[in-house]
Amino acid sequence: MKHVGTILGTAIAGMFVMSIWGEFAGTYGIGGGWFAGFIIIGTMWFLNHYVGIINNDGAFVDMAAGIGVAGTARDVFMHGGEALTSSLPTLGIVLLGGICGGITAVLLEKHLAKKNS
Amino acid sequence: MTFQAGIATFAGAFIFPFLIRLCWGKMVESWGAIGGWVAAGFIVGTMWTFNHGVGAITQSGGAWIDMAWAAGIGLFAASIFSGDDFGKGIVNYIFAIIGGILGGFILSCFL
Repeated sequence: MKHVGTILGTAIAGMFVMSIWGEFAGTYGIGGGWFAGFIIIGTMWFLNHYVGIINNDGAFVDMAAGIGVAGTARDVFMHGGEALTSSLPTLGIVLLGGICGGITAVLLEKHLAKKNS
Repeated sequence: MTFQAGIATFAGAFIFPFLIRLCWGKMVESWGAIGGWVAAGFIVGTMWTFNHGVGAITQSGGAWIDMAWAAGIGLFAASIFSGDDFGKGIVNYIFAIIGGILGGFILSCFL
């Protein structure tokens, strides 16, 4: 069941983000996009990480891992593999930027823990 | 993808997991579950405005690359870097990817 929870949680979060969010932004502009983050991520975070249906017994897996895949997979299912190939430059830079940001945050955490101890 | 667009894309992707890792847990610690909603609005909502609203992340192709990719991989990398178990984590990561593909498939059935 633990993996069923992970699959369902990320699938639902991915579907909500990759359909509702764009509509809010399209209808209400920047304010709609910001508000979509509040209601969708707030609710999905509560389900996935506060109630906790995503199984997290190792290195932390955020629901964002599934949400990112859902948006890309949606377009690959709709437009074919060529859509993915053309998006690889962005994907590569985004993954690299994400890894650097996460590791830098941990370095600062360690620095702050040392400073405050 | 120009060099300038690459720098902006990198910066947008860098900041998102950086903010989540440093602030989200503290907000929940300070304010309980409501802290999660505050984080969703003020971290994710504001970050969306930067990355996709005003467009720091340039889309080079036809498949949408969401800033969520950066948060997923960045928080996972941060967790490994701080000493958590890679072996157990990667299994869960793979199931999260399967869930994402399932969600993407269902969307492609009606959008």
